[in-house]
Amino acid sequence: MALIFIMPLALVIVMALVQDAPFRDYQELKLDVLLVDMDADSLGKKIRSSFQATGQVNLVEERDSLVARQKVHDGEYKAAIILEPQVSATLRRKTRQLIARVFANFGMEADTSDNAEVPTIRLKVLVDPAIKANYRQSLASGIEKIIANVQTTWLLDELQDQLSEGKSDNKKIQFDLSQIATVDQSYAATDKFAGLMLNSVQHNVPAWTMFAMFFILYPLAGNFINEREDGSMLRLRLIAGSQFAVITGKFCFYFMVCLLQFIMMISIGILIMPLLGLNQLVLGGSSALILLTASCVAMAATGYGTLIAVYFKTAQQALSFGSVSVVILSAIGGVWVPIYVMPEILQTISRFSPMSWGLESFNDLFLRQASLGAILPNILRLLGFALVTLMASVFIHNSRTVS
Amino acid sequence: MNVVQLGNITKTYVKTGRPAVSDLSLSIPEGAVFGLLGPNGAGKSTTVMILCGLTRPDTGIVNVMGMDVAIQANEVRKRIGVAPQEIALFPTLTAKENLTYFGRMYGLDARQLSLRIENLLNTFGLADKANKQVHTFSGGMKRRLNLIAALLHEPQLVILDEPTAGVDVQSRNMILSFLEELKKSGTSIIYSSHVLEEAERICSHIAIVDEGKLVTSGTRDSVMKNHADCTTLEQLFLKLTGKNIRD
Repeated sequence: MALIFIMPLALVIVMALVQDAPFRDYQELKLDVLLVDMDADSLGKKIRSSFQATGQVNLVEERDSLVARQKVHDGEYKAAIILEPQVSATLRRKTRQLIARVFANFGMEADTSDNAEVPTIRLKVLVDPAIKANYRQSLASGIEKIIANVQTTWLLDELQDQLSEGKSDNKKIQFDLSQIATVDQSYAATDKFAGLMLNSVQHNVPAWTMFAMFFILYPLAGNFINEREDGSMLRLRLIAGSQFAVITGKFCFYFMVCLLQFIMMISIGILIMPLLGLNQLVLGGSSALILLTASCVAMAATGYGTLIAVYFKTAQQALSFGSVSVVILSAIGGVWVPIYVMPEILQTISRFSPMSWGLESFNDLFLRQASLGAILPNILRLLGFALVTLMASVFIHNSRTVS
Repeated sequence: MNVVQLGNITKTYVKTGRPAVSDLSLSIPEGAVFGLLGPNGAGKSTTVMILCGLTRPDTGIVNVMGMDVAIQANEVRKRIGVAPQEIALFPTLTAKENLTYFGRMYGLDARQLSLRIENLLNTFGLADKANKQVHTFSGGMKRRLNLIAALLHEPQLVILDEPTAGVDVQSRNMILSFLEELKKSGTSIIYSSHVLEEAERICSHIAIVDEGKLVTSGTRDSVMKNHADCTTLEQLFLKLTGKNIRD
């Protein structure tokens, strides 16, 4: 009882809690980053205001670059941005030279007296060696975006300055670059579920529920092998035509247990997870299709458990192989980490894991509100898997009935 | 008419590599209590498993009640009742639950089954233990219940493999008395054992097997008559199978 219901419950809750933060990393990136502003000019101000606007980075001021380096090295801060002295002035000078060259190129009057080679401006970003790649990329692209923004603004300012040289009455126009073009990002979902996206709960509840359902092999194989060892299976073998009834009877019982597990875990996702500070599980798709998918996963899990039960002769063999195989199937099936972050070879292998078929169907239903047509290929795969494992179980069991 | 006809059956298990049964031929007449006797490892249990269709002989013909077991195993199983040497019961179910489950698997009507269970439990002195889990039973009680499970569907042929192994004197007496009554009803019985006093008490026919081979067979009286120097079945048994210890 504890193994079938309590342990999976604990597992799904713990995994959702543990993975809540990493899932938020991807969606709600918030970093503490040191800013060493030895420049004390406009670039630093722009970096501060831009990061403040995005809300993804919490900038903490630090005066000494060596101290900043040590703090990042020690993991106290994930990164540090170092603005060397004169970096704003150098950027402005480089901009001025650029516009002057453009003017001169078109035969317009321009001050080209400053034609000394100005080295490329290099902003230093120190990162914690333990920082995730996606953090690092996000921070780098954020800084690049700010620099590009500053450069464009200063180019336009310089352009206006040089065009208005000698004309005292011309006022400079301030451009809001964000008004030119913005990227409007949203999830491709129906209006009702527009804000719904993959989070710890949406991933972990169906994923670990399936994992638990496949672990039905534990009680199933245990029970089956016990019956073989205590002799009751022999009695059943002595009864005419009972073998099919025995196998299908066990299959039906454990199938119902799997469905009960599913209903219980989904209820936990809806009712208990929010009380633990997690997102509430949202069942985006049709209830009938969700039940259909759950039934197919339950059949696949029970079929697999039955096959393990009849194939192995001792409980130790069955349970050792069974549990390790379920862990492998779950790993390649995307239960532990999403399939799309796996190496290509594993992504190919994952197509053969019944858990990936189930998880894909649940994601299609929960997050994409998919129709029957969309989940049908995976449903058929699960049913096929269940049928093959069940038929193989009956065949093996029957062949062993007669030695 | 013969209820069982075995023709030249041989069975060798891959694991041991030596024949458990070798060229064994037997005829068991209808209504007989047939004692299949032999020392340990003689091939008695293998013969019983072959009769039930649970072990397939390498060669030979097995005919039970006019049916070839290799082809009509299910039909044969419907008509025979087997009490195997090991206790073949669900230990965590009660006696009544075990019998009800097996009876239903035999396809018996619930009402008739209930009456049959009640009668058999009374006969074997287990009525007051009907609702107790089997794992709480003594060895003798388990043996009796094991036998009841073989009799639920009123089989025409009852096969008993060491039915009194590990039971006390009272339980043994109860089982043997029941078998004597069953014999009177015309039910054929195959009684596999190495307890010769029991065979002497209830068997009308005997066969002695040793190392998978038939040593002698016939009615008990005719076999004894052929070995006039032996006054008891035990003397005859030792004469034919030797005095070496068998493990």
